[in-house]
Amino acid sequence: MAQGNTNPGEIVADQLVKTFNGTVHAVRGVSFEVRAGEIYGFLGPNGAGKTTTVSMLTAGLQPTSGQAQVDGLDVRRQAEAVKRRIGIVFQESTADGDLTGRENLELAAALYSVPRGAVKARVEGLLERMQIGEAADRLAKTYSGGMRRRLELAAGIVHSPKVLFLDEPTLGLDPQGRAGFWKYVLELRKEHEMTVFVTTHYLDEADGMCDRIAIIDHGQIVATGTPGELKDRLGGDIVTVRPTAAPPTLVDVLGRVPGVTSVTPQDGAFRLKCANGEALVPAIVSACAAAGVGLQGVSLKRPSLDEVFLEFTGREFREDEGPTATDRAVMVGRVRERFGGRR
Amino acid sequence: MIRETVALTKRELLRLARNPQALATSLLLPILYLLLFGQGFNLGARLPAAEVEPLILGSPTYFSYFAAGMAGFVAVTATLFIGANVIFDKLFGILKRIASTPASATSIFAARLIAGSIQPIGLAFLVLGLAVGLGHLGLSGLEVTAAVGPVGAGEIVLAVVILSLMFASLFLAIGFSIEQPQTYFAVVNAINLPVLLTSAALYPWGFMPSWLQNIAAYNPVTLAVEVIRINLFAAAPAAYPHPAWFYLLGLLGWAVAMGALATALARRALGPRH
Repeated sequence: MAQGNTNPGEIVADQLVKTFNGTVHAVRGVSFEVRAGEIYGFLGPNGAGKTTTVSMLTAGLQPTSGQAQVDGLDVRRQAEAVKRRIGIVFQESTADGDLTGRENLELAAALYSVPRGAVKARVEGLLERMQIGEAADRLAKTYSGGMRRRLELAAGIVHSPKVLFLDEPTLGLDPQGRAGFWKYVLELRKEHEMTVFVTTHYLDEADGMCDRIAIIDHGQIVATGTPGELKDRLGGDIVTVRPTAAPPTLVDVLGRVPGVTSVTPQDGAFRLKCANGEALVPAIVSACAAAGVGLQGVSLKRPSLDEVFLEFTGREFREDEGPTATDRAVMVGRVRERFGGRR
Repeated sequence: MIRETVALTKRELLRLARNPQALATSLLLPILYLLLFGQGFNLGARLPAAEVEPLILGSPTYFSYFAAGMAGFVAVTATLFIGANVIFDKLFGILKRIASTPASATSIFAARLIAGSIQPIGLAFLVLGLAVGLGHLGLSGLEVTAAVGPVGAGEIVLAVVILSLMFASLFLAIGFSIEQPQTYFAVVNAINLPVLLTSAALYPWGFMPSWLQNIAAYNPVTLAVEVIRINLFAAAPAAYPHPAWFYLLGLLGWAVAMGALATALARRALGPRH
């Protein structure tokens, strides 16, 4: 792992560990490198260690052990300099409701030492850009959820940081709000060549927006790669066969079907990997019939990040909150169509 | 650092100005104490002056003695909310955003101390002004019997400012260290009430048993109030064993000690989390 010689805009974590009170192991040694200018997604269920990792990378929490550099700076020893170079959007709303949108941004500009002469133009530009111009002089507590998120984003980039951290930035937003938020992130990334580190537990968000993903579970990274690479690692489609009763020989029976590359028993069902699942389903059903095995059902899934998560953790991915999967699929499609999710 | 402190102070003052209800409510305490408690508990109006005078150390009336004490009392009590605001800002995530910026812990603390002390200091002087005004309305009022020169006025201002700042910094540091408003109020009340009730702010000095007098003599509220009384009442300097600057020095000693405690607490709470 590269140490102390990272390039501008890069993030490098080396065996980061965070243990709370000596007993709660939130992050158990994560290592990764984020290249300058890419959108890097940290995907995992609630409690996986995503926010703890972000807190350490943004110099808000001391790691128990391990090291990390952001934009060439050590997060332990150069905490203040790190804070100066990065922008953060937290998962919860942190804008001051008793200040107007404009006052919130002016305060952020002062705290990030934006040159005095540049503050007015910068704040005006961001207010227009984020479509809060008309509400700029209203108290932030009167803003809608989407507006507040856009204000948070504006406050996070008021100093034009090289690296932007987004911690579950679209949590609780409706599809339209999420689409709007990502539109700005993608535009800004393009213009400022910002590195974006985003944590999410929305699979489609990670799939649609990120150049590369790390899947984190129980404080450990279980897989990294581009969304395409991760799905390719599944080795094709997944056919799940659910028999009425499973004789011990069924694994062999299914494994002998031409085209099936692996069979994994799981909760009374069998996960089969194969290159072209649709064409193989009749053969699988026939093989079961020939072996005298009754079937409750057979399902076919194309490679998806849900399947990737299941593959690497042995558990189903559960998105506990937020809009439905359909809503999000619509949103991702819409944004990708207009702005291009990946470079 | 100055720019950050100014920006954060401005934020605090804007919030204060946008909450006129809180400002109005804070005026209630001194008004109620002067108008009701002060008039109802007016020992001087019922007891022969010769009996009262030795008990109140050179103050012309008990109400005058009491009004000077109230200024000290308010300068402390009005700082109670300063730490509670920190806790509410924590609960609303606002402090998290501020702490994520490069703004130094010193700026974050100083801005709140400056903005948060304006109100208690202002209220203390309002008490003195109001108490004088009551005398002109046919009620018992504060009678200033000494000629207050610039030095005396300066000593009074210093006493009130130091007293307010030291309690504001302590309550602020406690606010940064505590997560729940309920816990905060329990802790600060456990400090505030014993401090006030072991001081000579409200009791006639001569009423107190000697053991309480011994405690009260070292109480920072007593020290500040003594500076006010010695400067406002012509007969007071002769009744106290030391001049006003002596008590001011004692108060300063307290402020240094409490400032050190507050700094240590705030450093722990505002530094990087472990």
